[in-house]
Amino acid sequence: MTVTHAPSLSPADIDASSVIAFPEGLVGCRSWKHFVLLTSDEADLPVGILQCIDEPSVRFMVTDPRLIDSTYCAELSFEDKLALGTNPVIYCTLTVSNDGNITANLLGPLVINAQTRQAKQVVLTDDTYSARHPVGRLG
Amino acid sequence: MLVLSRRPEQSFRIGDDITVTVLGIDGDRVKLGIRAPRNVVVLRQELFQELQGANSEAASNAPSTESVTELLRKIAPAKA
Repeated sequence: MTVTHAPSLSPADIDASSVIAFPEGLVGCRSWKHFVLLTSDEADLPVGILQCIDEPSVRFMVTDPRLIDSTYCAELSFEDKLALGTNPVIYCTLTVSNDGNITANLLGPLVINAQTRQAKQVVLTDDTYSARHPVGRLG
Repeated sequence: MLVLSRRPEQSFRIGDDITVTVLGIDGDRVKLGIRAPRNVVVLRQELFQELQGANSEAASNAPSTESVTELLRKIAPAKA
C-alpha cells in the first residue's frame, strides 16, 4: 500500500489515490468516512496515524493487532471478505487515557482492502476481544 | 418513540428489508429474531455505545508514535 509520509499533511497535499474510504463511516461516528494513512520513515514497527479528512481533529494511532495479541484473529463474514478481499490489512486503534495507560480496540478493528482502498470497521462476534484491551503504561 | 405491542411469534417490519420477530418471552427477557440485509449492522445498544465511546476517545487521545513504538518494543520484543 502506498503511504503518505508524516508530517506533511495539508488538504492540498492529499492525493486522491491515497485516500482510504470507509463508506459506512466508523461505528457510532458515521461521518468519519475518509482517511489517509501517515507513517514515518524512522518507524521500524507497523505503527501509523490514520488522519480523518472529513473531520481534521480526528486522528487515530493504529498498529497491527497481532503485535498486541499474537493469536489475534479477525473472523470476517462472507460479505466482508467480498468487499475487503481475502487478505486485508488489519489495524487496531490505540488510546491513551488520562492515567497514562494505553488501550487497544481489538473488538472493532479497521479492515482495509489495500488494492481498492475500501475499508470498514468490523465488529467481531468473538466477544473475548475488548474495545479497551490494556496494552501497557507510558513512560 | 413508536410503541408497538406484539405477542410471541408476531413480527414487525422496519422498511422493506428488516423484520423483527418476537421469538419468546422468558421472565424479564424477550428473545428477538432479526432478519436484515448483511450490510445492516445489528448491535446490542451497550456494544454500540462501547464502540462509539472507544472510537471517540481514540480519535481525540491518540498516543504519540514514539510512545507507541517504545511500548510495542517492550511487549513484542521478538518482532521489534
